[in-house]
Amino acid sequence: MRSDQQGYDRGVTVFSPDGRLYQVEYAREAVERGSPVVGVCADEAVVFAASGPRRSSLMAAESIEKIHDLDGRLGAASAGHVADGRRLVDVGREFAQRERLRYGEPPRVESVAKAIADFVQETTQTGGTRPFGAALLVGGVDGAPDPLTGESPHRGGDSVPGAVDSGPRLYEVDPSGAPTEYHAAAVGHGADESRAFLETEYEPGLDRAGGTTLALEALTESVDEPTAAELDLAVLDADGIDSFGPERRASALDDAGLAAS
Amino acid sequence: MRRRHDPRGTGHGIERLRGRRRRPGEPVEAGGQRGEQSRSGDQPRYETGTTIVGVTASDAVVLAADRRMSLGGRFTANKAVRKVERVHPTAAMAISGAVGPAQRLLDSVRAEASLYASRRGEPLSVPALARTAGHAVTGLPVAPLLGGVDEDGPRVYELDGSGSVLADAYAAGGSGLQVAYGVLERRFEDGLSVEAATETATAAVATASERDTASGNGVTVAVITDDGVAVESRAEAADAGDDAEGVA
Repeated sequence: MRSDQQGYDRGVTVFSPDGRLYQVEYAREAVERGSPVVGVCADEAVVFAASGPRRSSLMAAESIEKIHDLDGRLGAASAGHVADGRRLVDVGREFAQRERLRYGEPPRVESVAKAIADFVQETTQTGGTRPFGAALLVGGVDGAPDPLTGESPHRGGDSVPGAVDSGPRLYEVDPSGAPTEYHAAAVGHGADESRAFLETEYEPGLDRAGGTTLALEALTESVDEPTAAELDLAVLDADGIDSFGPERRASALDDAGLAAS
Repeated sequence: MRRRHDPRGTGHGIERLRGRRRRPGEPVEAGGQRGEQSRSGDQPRYETGTTIVGVTASDAVVLAADRRMSLGGRFTANKAVRKVERVHPTAAMAISGAVGPAQRLLDSVRAEASLYASRRGEPLSVPALARTAGHAVTGLPVAPLLGGVDEDGPRVYELDGSGSVLADAYAAGGSGLQVAYGVLERRFEDGLSVEAATETATAAVATASERDTASGNGVTVAVITDDGVAVESRAEAADAGDDAEGVA
């Protein structure tokens, strides 16, 4: 143990004298070790791209889940501890259905992201727990008809004062439980490079294909050569989540000029 | 300090999502206005003032219902009730019984089906959906029909508050069921076209609406195929054809 930490990393609920929560910072390290995911807001869609490399040729590639359907409409992409990520995804799934039961309308991206974030935050302040070693990108299109009922969701529309705009939204939830909205985001191994790339290259008004290409290019900043087999790719638009199969992944890589294999 | 993580927190029941579990036999709150709520002892009892039918075609299911909500079958409380709703990408449910519990049942079944699809990456099969609905309806004063299509073809299920789940090729429910069955028994045959099944289901509801005072005010029809669920509702008296005009 480094002397400057003096045991302040023993419990998650203990601040260091300079106001840091070491366990939460270690959890962020766990996220940094995870294979990367990228999210990009296009004009009418959110694109998720992720890399899920197989550690062994014996592993079934389809069993590596990086992008998850939350309620048929919204989705989440996870990086870090797989088991922790799965738990957070299920929290999001149950929240989405509970909102429907309570209000009769689907929740917005912001509501789901904040519900997951609140759940994560509790683990940073409760004795006997450890923080989640996973970060989530939560995205989708607000204000679209609910695929479950076919009904338009929110009272709202532009004419209602205080109504939130409809359109694509993207949130990141980190191990501290902080929800942050982004136009484009990256988490996981090499995310700094992807983020730097997105900061220079992202511009609003991307179409679906442009968003997909940008997400794949950003992912390539942190993964050497993404192959169609190890890629996970999904577009979330007004019709819900659309996960790409192997052939469409290969052609998306082709379109982005990144065809490797 | 209170332990945060409920070890049961990974259970999968929708009742848990609602935050409480209803025990069998526990009286349901009087959410339903439709139908007689007569109290004998402590037990509220609900009549079903409605006509609902389900008819299978060769590769589709048609569910139909009237649109009336009545108070004890004596006063029309609402003339545009939607008693058929989609609960699954290729399944819908028609409700009879107390309105409040029936509406909550629709929400619960829809939530269960959606959660299953998100978790497993494929939709519930129709028999599994029927079983799920059977669990959800147990103890409720509701007797719905469920119609769905999957790779094994179209099916109609009759459900009720005792939890029974009965598959059939056609079925009717609600206070108008005897009149509706009269039409179905005469007109149903295996392998109907979608159009013929729609006409049969609509005629059954229309005929029942002629004689059952608790049914009427038009018809809602859901056509369920591989492609999805199309629900249509109309206020005008449905064409009962020669079934309502008496056989000459």
